[in-house]
Amino acid sequence: MLPAEAKEKLVRRMGPRGYLDRPEDLKLYEYDGSVDKALPDLVVFPRSTEDVVAIVRIAAEYGVPVTGRGAGTGLSGGSIPRLGGVVVGFSRMNRILEIDLENERAVVEPGVVNLDLTLAVQDRSYFYAPDPSSQKACTIGGNVAENAGGPHTLAYGVTTNHVLGLEAVLPDGSVIWTGGKEPDLPGYDLTGLLTGSEGTMALITKAVVRLMRQPEMVKTCLAIYESPEDAGRTVTEITARNITPVALEMLDGVMLRMVEEATHAGYPMDAGAVLLIELEGLREAVEEQVEQIREACAACRAREFRVARTAGERDLLWKGRKNAFGAIGRVSPTFYVQDGVVPRTKIAPTLRFIGEVSSKYGLTISNIFHAGDGNMHPIILFDARKPGDLDKARRAGEEILEYCIQAGGSITGEHGVGMEKNEMMSRLFSEETLDAIRALKDVFDPGNLFNPGKVLPTGKGCLEIRQPALTAAGPVY
Amino acid sequence: MSVLTPSSPEELAALLGGAASQRQSVALGGRCSKRRMAGAVAPSDLTISTSAMDRVLVYEPQDLTISVQSGMPWCRLASTLADNRQMIPLDPPFFAEATVGGVVAANTSGPRRRLYGTARDFVIGMQFASLEGKLVQSGGMVVKNVAGLDMAKLLIGSFGTLAAIAVVNFKTVPMPPRERTFLLSFHSAPEAVKARDRILAGALQPAALDLLNPAAASRVEQQGWVLALDVGGNAAVLERYARELRNVGRWTALDEPEHSSFWQQVRDFTPRFLESHPEGAVVRLSTTLSQLREVVEAMPAPALARAGSGVCYGYFTDAAAASAWLAQAGKRSWKAIMEFAPENRAHLELWPQPGNDLETFERIKRLFDPHGLVNRGRLYNRI
Ligand SMILES: Cc1cc2nc3c(=O)[nH]c(=O)nc-3n(C[C@H](O)[C@H](O)[C@H](O)COP(=O)(O)OP(=O)(O)OC[C@H]3O[C@@H](n4cnc5c(N)ncnc54)[C@H](O)[C@@H]3O)c2cc1C
Repeated sequence: MLPAEAKEKLVRRMGPRGYLDRPEDLKLYEYDGSVDKALPDLVVFPRSTEDVVAIVRIAAEYGVPVTGRGAGTGLSGGSIPRLGGVVVGFSRMNRILEIDLENERAVVEPGVVNLDLTLAVQDRSYFYAPDPSSQKACTIGGNVAENAGGPHTLAYGVTTNHVLGLEAVLPDGSVIWTGGKEPDLPGYDLTGLLTGSEGTMALITKAVVRLMRQPEMVKTCLAIYESPEDAGRTVTEITARNITPVALEMLDGVMLRMVEEATHAGYPMDAGAVLLIELEGLREAVEEQVEQIREACAACRAREFRVARTAGERDLLWKGRKNAFGAIGRVSPTFYVQDGVVPRTKIAPTLRFIGEVSSKYGLTISNIFHAGDGNMHPIILFDARKPGDLDKARRAGEEILEYCIQAGGSITGEHGVGMEKNEMMSRLFSEETLDAIRALKDVFDPGNLFNPGKVLPTGKGCLEIRQPALTAAGPVY
Repeated sequence: MSVLTPSSPEELAALLGGAASQRQSVALGGRCSKRRMAGAVAPSDLTISTSAMDRVLVYEPQDLTISVQSGMPWCRLASTLADNRQMIPLDPPFFAEATVGGVVAANTSGPRRRLYGTARDFVIGMQFASLEGKLVQSGGMVVKNVAGLDMAKLLIGSFGTLAAIAVVNFKTVPMPPRERTFLLSFHSAPEAVKARDRILAGALQPAALDLLNPAAASRVEQQGWVLALDVGGNAAVLERYARELRNVGRWTALDEPEHSSFWQQVRDFTPRFLESHPEGAVVRLSTTLSQLREVVEAMPAPALARAGSGVCYGYFTDAAAASAWLAQAGKRSWKAIMEFAPENRAHLELWPQPGNDLETFERIKRLFDPHGLVNRGRLYNRI
């Protein structure tokens, strides 16, 4: 997919330390956090918008596919160069260009690691709200491309609610600024359109994001249940009482035991499920809400309700949640994470259905998810070495997503469609809608060079490719 | 000229598709409450209004989501939610007359955006009718959803220049248990802005933080440079505000019913001004928190600023003065538009300085409407 002449031009432009092309190096860029793989022909590491423009121009001249890559933590194959070509790694564009607390804004390059932004402002009592569980590694560019969420997006909103402007390089090499530090600029909201476009329409080279003031008080609670369904019902009980926690996460019994063995966070080993509930705000509001939440949990048959007394206890509870993926790795060499969403009132029946799928396929499925917004993350454990196991895992995953669609939900809440669920898009959306998405993509990328083979079903017309054969599963976090 | 009033999304799509296939130009609207906002639609062959599409489609309060047809009056949506102590606190002007589709298409908002955001933060799904006569879906009925492009974002603030919004799905938020207004008058803008800065730097998180210059304040029965806060919470929280705000000055607190009536005046500030000034114009400046002071001080007319967000509205009794002021603002690189203007405004420069994304806007317009048939000129005379 990469003509020698194009490669030579790219290599010359990037200089000796600005690219990778040896097979053993390219191998490291053939996967992300999902279960798919495809090798790039060349990986380049721009240092500036001008570099990105030059790369994109050369790629356009030779019709070479271009796939952006942040930290490669994506869970839907977003950064995998499905048709080969050039991977643009943003790890060297990782500067925080401006911190403007007076205006509650920061301007960052796309390779800035999510958590680093909060770390840069936390001593001045500010934070960047979207907090994917992968925040120690994933980048703002990847977050913008996927419109990432996280535990605290329940109250604060997802990435798109915190991105106010973008500098973007379009597939013809032109550079546009959308939005900015100022709100309400007239015209179409391209910032909102590009956020979540999964690198299929533009490469993001700068982002203007909102910084928020840290709340005065944080309370973290743990509610323990005999059954996951009672925990699920609590979510609607809480909304019925008009309380909005900032985070409302659920771990089922299978997950709990794996997490507890790995992290010793103090989770009960014998419970059916726990809810991790966080409240933030003014002291007077939080104290009252903790009591209201305690009542809501009791009304749904919580066996026990604990409130973290110290910052240490709180961190320990979150450590269990945020390191869950590592914990699974100890138990199962490979797993498959799903990202379906259901209306909050449907959580309990969805959990029941996931249990049935687990029995049907004989695969262990554990659940750890953003319960407050109905964003399920069933984690299907399988053994890639066992013939047929991956296939079974995929089918189980599809059945669960199908259920989410029927329940009035979606196939992805935050991980993106990528190359993992693009064929399922036609079950969620009508032909008319898929055509509209395709046409919009064409406006930006008529040559289909930016991240081809993602988001839209490949079955028809514009993209004649097969789903690459899946040999082994991807890495485990 | 007759107005067509489809009663379902399907009918809307059929009408729009039919018109477009015959190259008929279309003026698209809800109840046309914002006739003087943005550009005037060029004379068109037919008018389509969504006003007969006014049903709630799905409302499950415990899901904190609602789906409504675009012709539903905003006030009816608000009262439906209020029955369950929920809200979508956009507080748009023309609250009583505006339709949901119109509020979203014009991206209007109000004081509480400081805490809650604007339409882009509340719309979780949308169905729109294209000029090809098709119904297209963006998002859905869940609060987190990244399947497909977020096309709804394009339609928010598009003024009907791309497609006709048929159904809008929103997330809702619980109403605070109580609300209270705090008002404080200052002698000068710098003093008022300093007070704002002190509040924003602390733990208090008012839902609204508006600043009115003396000319604007007098229109809502206040004097001087006025900071107006809308705060929500339980009794202890409101008590806390009262206590801590005392460090800033001697505030006047308003509880119900004065609280609501004050904010109603603020919400209706623009409609009332336009009503009494047929040749008047409203400019809107997008600025930063730090630049806001300079901007409001430079406003030679009543000025109402969303001081916690960075938007300032200026009210001119005649459009020529507004134009002249916009030209001055442009020289200082301020980002400003004429948001409302007299009925007859085709000759006015409403959006003097578009950014370098205008060309992309035009490409998107051509995709949705290749022959330029729908709401021509409505996007501030540019599109
Ligand atoms: C343990 C674990 C936990 C996770 N938890 C969460 C969670 O809580 N919430 C959540 O939302 N996600 C979560 N994820 C998924 C993942 O971390 C996010 O999708 C993240 O946003 C990806 O960022 P990245 O930098 O790794 O991007 P990559 O995986 O490298 O790329 C993701 C997408 O972004 C595109 N891209 C990257 N940079 C750019 C750019 N500059 N311009 C245009 N496109 C670009 C790529 O082409 C690709 O399509 C988790 C993943 C793991 C492994």
